[in-house]
Amino acid sequence: MNILAMILAGGEGRELGVLTAHRAEAAVPFGGKYRLIDFTLSNCVNSGIYDVAVLTQYQPRSLNDHIGIGKPWDLDRARGGVRLLQPFQRARGQGGTWQEGTADAVRFNLDYITERNPEHVLILAGDHIYKMDYNALLHLHVETNADVTIGVRSVSPFEAHRFGMVMLDSDGSVTQFEEKPKRTRSTTASMGIYAFKRSFLEQWLTGEGLTQHDFGRDVLPSLLKKARVFGFNYQGYWADVGTIQAYFEANMALLSETPALDLYDPDWVIHTRSEERPAVYVGADARVDGNLLCDGCRIDGTVTRSVIGPGVYVAPGAIVRDAILMKDSHVGEGAIVDHVITDKRVVIGAGARVGDGEDNTPNQLSPNRLNTGITVIGKRAQIPAGLSIGRNVEINMNVPASVFPKEGVKSGETIMG
Amino acid sequence: MANTLAIILAGGAGTRLSVLSEERSKPAVPFAARYRIIDFTLSNCVNSGIYNIAVLTQYRPRSLNDHIGVGKPWDLDRARGGIRLLQPYQARGREQWYGGTADAVYQNLDDVREQRAEQVLILSGDHIYKMDYRPMLAFHQEKNADLTVGVMNVPLEETDRFGIMTVNEDMRITAFFEKPKKRDKGTLASMGIYVFDAQTLAEQLEAESPKHADLDFGKHVIPGMIETMRVFAYPFEGYWVDVGTIQSYWETNLAFLEPKPPLNLDDPSWVIHTKSSERPPVKVGLQGQLRKSMVANGSNIRGRVEHSVLSPGVYVSEGALVRDSIVMNDVWIGPGAVLDKVIVDKGTVVGAGTRLGFGEDNKPNELEPDKINTGITVVGKGAHIPANITVGRNVVVMPRADEEMFQSFGGNVPSGATVGVRG
Repeated sequence: MNILAMILAGGEGRELGVLTAHRAEAAVPFGGKYRLIDFTLSNCVNSGIYDVAVLTQYQPRSLNDHIGIGKPWDLDRARGGVRLLQPFQRARGQGGTWQEGTADAVRFNLDYITERNPEHVLILAGDHIYKMDYNALLHLHVETNADVTIGVRSVSPFEAHRFGMVMLDSDGSVTQFEEKPKRTRSTTASMGIYAFKRSFLEQWLTGEGLTQHDFGRDVLPSLLKKARVFGFNYQGYWADVGTIQAYFEANMALLSETPALDLYDPDWVIHTRSEERPAVYVGADARVDGNLLCDGCRIDGTVTRSVIGPGVYVAPGAIVRDAILMKDSHVGEGAIVDHVITDKRVVIGAGARVGDGEDNTPNQLSPNRLNTGITVIGKRAQIPAGLSIGRNVEINMNVPASVFPKEGVKSGETIMG
Repeated sequence: MANTLAIILAGGAGTRLSVLSEERSKPAVPFAARYRIIDFTLSNCVNSGIYNIAVLTQYRPRSLNDHIGVGKPWDLDRARGGIRLLQPYQARGREQWYGGTADAVYQNLDDVREQRAEQVLILSGDHIYKMDYRPMLAFHQEKNADLTVGVMNVPLEETDRFGIMTVNEDMRITAFFEKPKKRDKGTLASMGIYVFDAQTLAEQLEAESPKHADLDFGKHVIPGMIETMRVFAYPFEGYWVDVGTIQSYWETNLAFLEPKPPLNLDDPSWVIHTKSSERPPVKVGLQGQLRKSMVANGSNIRGRVEHSVLSPGVYVSEGALVRDSIVMNDVWIGPGAVLDKVIVDKGTVVGAGTRLGFGEDNKPNELEPDKINTGITVVGKGAHIPANITVGRNVVVMPRADEEMFQSFGGNVPSGATVGVRG
């Protein structure tokens, strides 16, 4: 079976705030040494799919750097391999417009599909955390002679408004598809994974669906009556980490004794571009328990229940708990970091207290986005020594120490820089 | 810089490293959790801008071959130059292994010609150090030397392990003594690093080769050149160590746990490149404790680890204690097991409740009393150590020793014993 996987990795991930200020959601670091897209890429190669296109749009540089020629996934190949497909402008004769939405992005790249000449096209999202063998879905797709097969999973009714919700017939065919419904009887959600018969995909996107832009909103609801659409029920761990709270929880879930997502399975390795760093170093007076620690980090203080990226330094006397510290962040002597996410190369000055106090005031600029007590610090920001920073605070990237108010930052504030 | 070819001598058996070099050559012995010994020399080459390297192998090369592969981690997978692993070979009228260091180079002179090298940098794959070779190559040019030897001062009591030389004020070598018994020749020691003009190298080796089957740089080539040719000493100041014994291997690894390690492994301007195995982060369980230790990715720490070096994929179960030890890749340490001053090679299983490095008896190893006598117990690759036994100090467990081989000891392997000797 000849399959082309197309990974939609252009999404902005606006809900992730400063973490996606300079990178696409698919490129956001996860679990210390991974990026979100590693899971989908690894699923592809672990499923034997070595022909992968990654469609980029929003802030792609970090993603480009990460994927490169695809070496960590063995996707640097003479035939197939990984291709990064950038958005481009339509020819002047066709209006000169840019792509608008997921289906439009695939339509823009139909010539690539023609060139690769697959029988089926597997459309995937680049920002979900899961381990899935796509072969089972593809087998069902072929067996049922479906035009489209949608990966689906059960969700609780109160989550239904976040997903495309489907109804399945007894034979597994999809009878209804509603994108992010306010209320629904369905508890089966689309995972944003679609196997298309290639001929059908081409025909639809250039014919009846010519003006449709988005798979979930436009394409799938409208083709139900006109095509054979089946659902493939997936039952394993799957997480959409599109919000700060979900991102935080999914990271923390890795710290449990037997996590639902097993990163240590030699039969399903999550491949990533590894940093070239020495081993983790833990000092004589350090305390570490319940953590993920990445090569190149150096812990001289106390770290509990945290995910520590490569090259992070925690100085003597510093306390880090329930935190996610990305690559090369630096926590100064005696600093206290509690319920905090730092992007790369953040410097927290000696004695600073980040995530300080009991005040849980939601972020004033984005109360819906930042309200669970997590403070988020953008890339390369510098927190002055001794400063107190409350909860639900957001600090933009590159903010220098000089712009912080001397009296500290109260819960719910935002430092723009 | 003239067209330089580096030749790394990596064929050594490292016999004093006991079971650690039983199934691999010394340059392939793991070091500092993530590295192999040869990584230091290889990284020195590429960090010095030398991208044309031949590695001469002989003793047990498979592990080294796997590690180096096409040279990707060092950016040595190149269309021009790059890295070549050169094995001993058969030729018409001659069937022999490399007889000595210079013989190994002699037998590969065709590679020197093929690479059109103008100068040849000869290195050892056995040493832990960071050195920029460019100043030495420049020194060689400046002095218009035929041969330049990298040298450093060593403690007087160790001079019998090295080639020792005397120099004049211009650093020209005036006399050379290979491993002198008497300690009256000074402390200037050869590091086994030589720069030759390619032409001179070929001429010297071709002239000397018929005279000595065991042609060696220290024993034959250098002494033969001093009188008639321009042979200079290039002084190196910095950390340099030959981890030739179990004791020095153990000490050198653990020295990296000190607040001021002998070498900075995390220097972005001088990265020590290695072949990384693809592993998830280190996971420290809620009951896990780590103190003054180095632990590589993929390890899972549910017990206590103190003053130890752990390679990728080590599993320390609940209630286990690892102290003053070096544990290599994918070793599984069962619940409640205790490791005290132990070196455990890859893939070994330590049964639950078993104590390695047990008791106060410091009796040297019976079979290797001169190598294993400082209290360190060494476990070879892939051994299976049964649950709930004790294993004393200076014990050697042979690679792949299975549980049956422990039975004759009745649950108590005394200090100085060797487990799993075949035949």
